[in-house]
Amino acid sequence: MRVTQFVCAAGPVDAVTNQGLAWRSVFSRWGWDGEDYAAHIAPGVRARALRPLRGWRGAEREVVVLHYSGHVSGLVEVMRSAPRSLLVSHNVTPARYFWEFEPLDAARCALAREQLAALGRDATALAGVSAFNARELGELSGREVDVIPVLFDPARLGPAGEGEPPGPPTVLFVGRLAPHKRQDLIIRAFARLRGAVPDARLVLVGTPLNPAFEQALRELAETLAPGAVSFETAGISTERLAAHYRSAHVFLSLSEHEGFGIPLLEAFHFGVPVVARDAAAVGEVVGEAGVLLAAEDRVATVAEVLRIVLADPELRAELRERGRRRLRDYDHARTEAVMRSRLEALAA
Amino acid sequence: MKDPREALEAARRAAAGTEDEAGRAGAEPGRARVEPGAAGAQPGAVARDDWALADPSAATRRLVEWAIIEPDQARVYSTRAYGRPITWLKRGLIRLLRQYLDQVTAQQSRFNANVAAQLLRLEERVSELERRSGPGGPAAP
Repeated sequence: MRVTQFVCAAGPVDAVTNQGLAWRSVFSRWGWDGEDYAAHIAPGVRARALRPLRGWRGAEREVVVLHYSGHVSGLVEVMRSAPRSLLVSHNVTPARYFWEFEPLDAARCALAREQLAALGRDATALAGVSAFNARELGELSGREVDVIPVLFDPARLGPAGEGEPPGPPTVLFVGRLAPHKRQDLIIRAFARLRGAVPDARLVLVGTPLNPAFEQALRELAETLAPGAVSFETAGISTERLAAHYRSAHVFLSLSEHEGFGIPLLEAFHFGVPVVARDAAAVGEVVGEAGVLLAAEDRVATVAEVLRIVLADPELRAELRERGRRRLRDYDHARTEAVMRSRLEALAA
Repeated sequence: MKDPREALEAARRAAAGTEDEAGRAGAEPGRARVEPGAAGAQPGAVARDDWALADPSAATRRLVEWAIIEPDQARVYSTRAYGRPITWLKRGLIRLLRQYLDQVTAQQSRFNANVAAQLLRLEERVSELERRSGPGGPAAP
């Protein structure tokens, strides 16, 4: 079988690009051929891993998988020339989060939602990487949408640490520094936690939306919790990321919008107890494996949950165990089987 | 304690009745805002949807669409007889100048998007003023 993949914007640390490349390895293992294309390819992407989309010429009996994550000019027309296509919606963040801070991203997100609706009407089959994404795509397209979760390979990050990490109580969040991720609330909750746990520290890992937004977060951190918040915003290697997980005592996510939330699975893999706001796809990914905060929970409640988790080794052990069990639902082989059945049905 | 829900309930009880100064938007005067939709949180402001307006005009939509500049290289060609080498030359020049052209388009797109955002903000304010004033009534203070 021949499977061609399209990625909207390829980048060296882009999660969707990595998903495309991971699926390519799986397809090759199955003996399927094909190539991968991207509309935009950022510097740093492995040479020849992806080709420019404008160079794509459709082939007979080819199945095209579009990993959609952002607006691309002319993509609807390109996809119309693919006789068999699977649209996989990864995530489009609502534009409202960006107008204030990065209007160009806001414009792209607003256009992406409209484009996703058009693509959803035309593609042969539809899927979302989470039930949340699938529901959203279903509403936009008026069609039935499957769920094909992300391929999660814990081995990529290396083994988890043994037992409790040494060092001061550490709260970790991994995710782009962006308004919808609400690092501002994480900092506020952490600052409150410091009243009860003065030696606690917070680590925020992720590339910033722009320098101004990063600076604003740094200033907020310096005002509310001077010297206790560290940012890792550039050149984040896999080893360094794994080291952050290994030294964390709790993973805190207060995101208001997540299409999936791979860092939640990474936290489960490293045995880091998860405290997260139940928003968008977060609740379905965490399930019963973490402390799920409601949207109306206040910063004081978040700080109190952190204090309880940090003070209670029994609870931490239970959360670690639940996290490891939860990971089985995202088993590589299970996800591969789902994708394979969808693609074989399309090719038939 | 072994149940996460039990932990959450305990936290809610402990947090009940405590002041939540740190949770309030803009608690630090003079600081740059990092809360999303900060304008929407101000008293009387309209909550924003993706387009910042419940029913944005077609012109505004087009403006946002056109804000992002992505020239199509396929539309660079020569119409002369035997113009194929000229087409190659033109496209070759574009490739050679790609770093420069990317800068130009990125700067222009950024400017366009900021103008579009500002226009959306103004439209939102006008809508809000119209809503407040009601049919034929004066604007509320």
